[in-house]
Amino acid sequence: MAIATRGTSSNYLQRAPSPSGLADVLDVILDKGLVIDAYVRVSVIGIELVTIDARIVVASVDTYLRFAEAVNRLDLAQTEAAGIDELRDGGSSAKRKSEGAVEGAKEKIPGLKSDKERSR
Amino acid sequence: MPAAATTAAGVYVYGVVRAEELPAISADGVAGTSVQLLEHDGLAAVVSKLPPGELRVKRRDLHRHLQVLEEAFSETTIVPCPFGTVLASEADVEDALLVQRHAELLAALRRLDGRVQLNVKAVYDEEELLRELVSANPELRRLRAAAGYHEQLRLGELVAALVSERREADSAELVNELLRVADDVVLEPVGEYVALKASFLVPRKRLERFDARLEKLARAEQPLLQFEVIGPVPPTVFAGE
Repeated sequence: MAIATRGTSSNYLQRAPSPSGLADVLDVILDKGLVIDAYVRVSVIGIELVTIDARIVVASVDTYLRFAEAVNRLDLAQTEAAGIDELRDGGSSAKRKSEGAVEGAKEKIPGLKSDKERSR
Repeated sequence: MPAAATTAAGVYVYGVVRAEELPAISADGVAGTSVQLLEHDGLAAVVSKLPPGELRVKRRDLHRHLQVLEEAFSETTIVPCPFGTVLASEADVEDALLVQRHAELLAALRRLDGRVQLNVKAVYDEEELLRELVSANPELRRLRAAAGYHEQLRLGELVAALVSERREADSAELVNELLRVADDVVLEPVGEYVALKASFLVPRKRLERFDARLEKLARAEQPLLQFEVIGPVPPTVFAGE
């Protein structure tokens, strides 16, 4: 198995031959596989599921303020210098574009449900 | 971590292989049980007989389930079952699984033959991503300078939309690139700064090519995206229909 034996050669691509952390193990075996009808299911209560990755982006005031805060924290010395010309143009096309994206994101949210959320 | 889980004595099922392709499993089963093979008509269920009474499932049992799958997978093709699959008796395993699902299991085994699952994740560097968005979008810079609550709310809303738009574009591109080598993909829901979380079904003989393509993508996307690949693991995500 080539990938398993090669090991990690770069910090931008981490390779692991087998899941080791709880979250990664759960990713592979929880709610994944051939489901048998009429079976008794052992529930796994009390195991702390690590669900950071599975958190769904919900359009909410809290989320927005968190994003705003993150953007405000940026040190934009270089970025701002590069963007002055665009700023002068008003940026209205960018605004229209992003409004469409907000609608798109909202429509998708009800359909998204994580396996991990269900199994908690 | 303690886990409260109860069941009557039963038969725990890890998955199904072709009969006579797997000599035995040496790994411990869940709850420290031994692992056995239950054969019927060319198929064999990989099972453990659970002791009667209450079963307390522990975190270690998750690892044991995976280790049994991995041992079987290192020898032959396996159709895995989800963690916690328990049937009432050996007769039930035979009826509900090996007899009633016989054709489906044979088809699944053929589909999974010579293939492995690789779990790929690509995560944004928060600062890099936000910096790119702000530099490409004057409205963000205007709102950033404004201190009012409504401007801040609008700023966050705009960033959320741009992140989501960017994620969809990046995810589609990455999946497209990797499907040139992989046979199939299943996408999972992702969190805010995750561009892609997906399982790929890859033929063993194309593992090197998949890895090379992933390496190339990861190199091209740095420092914006950090990649992670886990596997080859048994093809749990692709075991169903």
